[in-house]
Amino acid sequence: WSAARAQSTQGDTPAPATSQSSGRLSQSDIARMLPATDMGAGDFRKDNPHLHQADEGPATPFDAAPIPHNPLAPQADPVGARTCIACHSLENVRASHSLHVQSFRAGAANSGPQAACESCHGPGSEHAKNPALAGSIIAFTHGAAADVHTQTAVCLGCHAGGARQHWLGSVHEARGLSCSDCHNPMARLSPEGVLAKPSINEVCATCHKDIMVKFHRRSHMPLPEGQMACTDCHNPHGTLTRPLLKTDTVNETCYTCHAEKRGPFLFEHAPVRESCLNCHDPHGSNQQTLLVAPLPMLCQQCHTMTRHPNDLQVPTNLGRGPNPDERLMGRACLTCHTNIHGSNNPSGSRFHK
Amino acid sequence: HASDGSDTMRVGDMQYGNGLDPRGWSPLMTPDADGMSWLHPGMLRTPSGALYPYPYTLAGKPLGQGGDWTYWGLLQLGYIHLGGDSDAEFFRQYTDWKNGAVLGLWAMGFDNRATGGYVEFRGSRISGDDQYYRVRAGRYGHYKFQAFYRDIPHTVSTNAFPIWQGIGGGDLTLPAGLTPGGSTIAAVQQASDAAPRRTIALTRTRSGLSLEGQLYRDWIGFASITNEERDGTRLWGGPMFFNFAFPGTGSPFGGNGGVLETVRPIDFTTTDVNLGLRRVGKVWHFNALYNGSFFRDHKSTLDYQNPFLITNVIGVPNAGPVVDGEYSLEPDNDYHNLRLELSRQLKWRGELSLAAAYGTMRQDDALLPPVNCTGTLGFAAGPFQQLIPCELWNTPAALSRTHANARIDTQLFDAKITFHPGRNFGWHADLRYYNEDNKTDYLAYNPLTGQYGYISENGSQGSVVPGEVGIFDNGYYATSNVQVANVPFGYRDTLLELGADWNVGTSDALSLVYTFDHNQPRHRERTRLDEQRIKLSWVSRSLGDATVRASFEYGDRDGGAYNHDPYEAYYSASLPGYTPADGIAPTAFTVDAMRKYDMSDRKETKARVILIYPLADSSTVSATFYGSRDRYDARIGRQDTRSTGFTGEWDWQPAPHTNASVYIGAETTRLKLANVADNEAIVGAPGSEDPSFGGPLYPFENYWHDLDRERDYNAGITFAHDFGRVKLDLAWNYTQSLSQLDYDYASPGALTHPEAAPLLDGSFPDNHYRSSTFDASLSFPITASVGVRLFGRYQSGSFLDWHYLGFDDTLVYDHRIYTDRGPQMHYRAALVGAMLSIRL
Repeated sequence: WSAARAQSTQGDTPAPATSQSSGRLSQSDIARMLPATDMGAGDFRKDNPHLHQADEGPATPFDAAPIPHNPLAPQADPVGARTCIACHSLENVRASHSLHVQSFRAGAANSGPQAACESCHGPGSEHAKNPALAGSIIAFTHGAAADVHTQTAVCLGCHAGGARQHWLGSVHEARGLSCSDCHNPMARLSPEGVLAKPSINEVCATCHKDIMVKFHRRSHMPLPEGQMACTDCHNPHGTLTRPLLKTDTVNETCYTCHAEKRGPFLFEHAPVRESCLNCHDPHGSNQQTLLVAPLPMLCQQCHTMTRHPNDLQVPTNLGRGPNPDERLMGRACLTCHTNIHGSNNPSGSRFHK
Repeated sequence: HASDGSDTMRVGDMQYGNGLDPRGWSPLMTPDADGMSWLHPGMLRTPSGALYPYPYTLAGKPLGQGGDWTYWGLLQLGYIHLGGDSDAEFFRQYTDWKNGAVLGLWAMGFDNRATGGYVEFRGSRISGDDQYYRVRAGRYGHYKFQAFYRDIPHTVSTNAFPIWQGIGGGDLTLPAGLTPGGSTIAAVQQASDAAPRRTIALTRTRSGLSLEGQLYRDWIGFASITNEERDGTRLWGGPMFFNFAFPGTGSPFGGNGGVLETVRPIDFTTTDVNLGLRRVGKVWHFNALYNGSFFRDHKSTLDYQNPFLITNVIGVPNAGPVVDGEYSLEPDNDYHNLRLELSRQLKWRGELSLAAAYGTMRQDDALLPPVNCTGTLGFAAGPFQQLIPCELWNTPAALSRTHANARIDTQLFDAKITFHPGRNFGWHADLRYYNEDNKTDYLAYNPLTGQYGYISENGSQGSVVPGEVGIFDNGYYATSNVQVANVPFGYRDTLLELGADWNVGTSDALSLVYTFDHNQPRHRERTRLDEQRIKLSWVSRSLGDATVRASFEYGDRDGGAYNHDPYEAYYSASLPGYTPADGIAPTAFTVDAMRKYDMSDRKETKARVILIYPLADSSTVSATFYGSRDRYDARIGRQDTRSTGFTGEWDWQPAPHTNASVYIGAETTRLKLANVADNEAIVGAPGSEDPSFGGPLYPFENYWHDLDRERDYNAGITFAHDFGRVKLDLAWNYTQSLSQLDYDYASPGALTHPEAAPLLDGSFPDNHYRSSTFDASLSFPITASVGVRLFGRYQSGSFLDWHYLGFDDTLVYDHRIYTDRGPQMHYRAALVGAMLSIRL
């Protein structure tokens, strides 16, 4: 609906089919363009009563669905899904399991089932005439003649705004990622999200393996155990923060699960209130509780003070040493300064209480 | 579009899986032998070059006669059996493995091809503390509804031996045989030895509902509510003043002070409400989001008993034993955040995007009294009339106010404009403003006594050291410099970003981004921090079939004058009546050369290269090279951090029935810090007020530094092949981390015990963490719709963390009692299972 109208206002973005210049094709025009054989696609469908049958109705009403403009085939006309399926019969079967195509089938975009292919791939007549001609339709895969901007503009034609409000200028947009780097609406490869891999975390790991391996360290968020996804904290479509966090700040993201740390407390610990990342690596750490350095050294990066915080701790202060020292053993500083995230106790200014 | 999910706008609950199947979907991943297309072999690739997996067999069946609904379903039920060290912490950190029946996966889907209606359900259960059930339903393009229930386990320790009774509650009492505030070390040791082994863990029980759909024309709304009950225990503390400074001298009651590792309860409820409204029009995109979060702590205090005898250093009897300790646990809090976003499409593929948000977090819990002791603590001898009458401090009447009235407000504004005047050139500008305003205002003043300050460490510090109760007044404590008010930390951050990008030819793109970040911290060592960053990025598709994404970033941070003690106004030395002891100014707060790493000058360099290379038709090689260098301008504090790493992966999927992958990774990191031990001999004497590095209190000869180095290695292999009658899945995952901590010092004066210097060789024992997990499964059909899966896991690991050295021998060290022995140093755990799969 509105997406079609939205596109019509953008100079070099896809225009609705009604604005296309070369006139509509009749069904007989399309039939003449089709290859001599449908490569057995019809038979394949006929033998399977569970498959949705290709629509026999008019080829290209497209009264509401946006058919994106393909700059590499400006004269192309829509030909309708039935034409596409004649060759791409197996793709049609696979796509039938995908939420995306199912929604077209059900007319979710007021488009009718015939729009299912060309609403994304652009008008198909040039491709039908010469299937080997690169760029004759908008492709979304490796080596596609259509540039990434053309690809993403197609998707944003319907999926602008909302979670993608900040796509433009986001790091993934700036790095030339296409929607189809992470999503594949042509088959159901994931439980939800029409992803390009079976899970969110595997999608992210395609490029961010260095982050994923950190989740195998001693302390980590439960991603390898299937309890979390990268997108629990990050919105890969763009946000108001550089690390693509969903909230205003790092801390507000952390508070979403760790609401007890939100406070505010009577007595705050400055680096804690400033950013959880001052002390924690949320992806994984070889220290306890995601800490970025061993205790008490983590604390000694900021605390000299007088007397007890500033002594050099050495192995003779360990449990087996001649001078066991609580500042080093076990949870070190935190054994006494336990309420390190902030204390609500009137005697808690040093987080003892 | 109403079928667009708002999930990626909301934090959490995007993934439903567990240790049996992290994907929460794997049993349905049966690749169809026909592949994706009759027109070409193999699979196509993403624009960057990664292979899409072969599609799965997911054909639905008609539901009833002649209707439009189809359905599919799978039920996996089975049994698992554990062997070996199955209670090892690292085996069950986030999975509640148990012997017994499990629900592997129950998944069902219903689709209506005519209306676009759908219902999907997934559920799995390993135990009552590790399970999920989730249903989604709706109609494409119109609305969707979600409901879920899940239990997420988190095991913190399986090796805990707390001596207290009442673990899991808010009142820890000592067992029979121990005298609160007066036990011998032998008795404490006996109690520790007799303490049963416990697991310290919690379970997050989450449930939620959400509804999203078209409200009116092109207005889309969503509403969701989630509730979490977090229940369990965590390791905690218990300070009764130092022990290291007062070691035992042969008395059966040991030395002095008391250091207790206790266990706290976790009993939280958090309810989150999310509301959203958006409209995506022709040129305007509007988005409104509200998040309300309401945290409730049902056990907001922890009281505990101290077993040790606390005595004073002047050798007179204390007025009473220090028996009781107390923590305020986290207060209830409310949070609201409202964000409005508006963007307008402009010509030249441009966009103006505005966003503004207001947030507030508040809590007004009743405050606990400063202490929970009874009787009188402290001592009285000669000039040291240091008695602490508990009845004047253990009542809310001892507070300047009874409730916290704590509040932080935040404001965010972001304006961004982007243009791409041509296909090959674009630029953008972004201005972001964020303000965090802490309105909490607390004065530590006792109207009953007319004194300022607090009772330190449950009265223990004042029961040991003259003058160190934590109180300030115009009498006995007139020389005491203690904190008397909270510090309302906050900051205002303004960030300007300018960027340009241009396409060089058809296959290469360059971008350059300059960022100026102006931060104004409040009540911190600096009032101004300025960071300039420049980032150059290159995306290339011109190197054969490869896609390369490379970036280089340089940042330079400096700021205003560094004040090593910005907290003077919050200490009693700023109050009328403060009298420097012996006419000497208060002891220096800290060394003037300290530069806290969030406030120091810093030069940062980062580089990253991500490569995806299609290798022949059926495999992909991908690699990441990355590094960062941070140099801090600090003689004292964090000085330097570095990280360099590499990951490489090879994926192979020659046919639907076969796939394999191999990955390796390596990373080195280092962190260098420096500090200086003070010359405690002059504390309170002339010179102790001097903060100079190299001065009498912080002499150069007490300078020291630590160098922490880590090396991480990762590797993994997966292999899956369907032989026709049987399908084999194999996976191996390996992690090894080595940590080495070296130290150096100018002289033994840096040490607490200089006499130990000859025993030192400059290094701590190397820490390590190693984990190897091997998974195997065989799946074979019995009938067309029934199959069996036999599977097993073997996990082994080793671990060493010097923090816990000796804890296997004893948890009692003079006046220290620990609870956690730490993770197992070696473990081998196995799991075998059989699952019956029924296609519904």
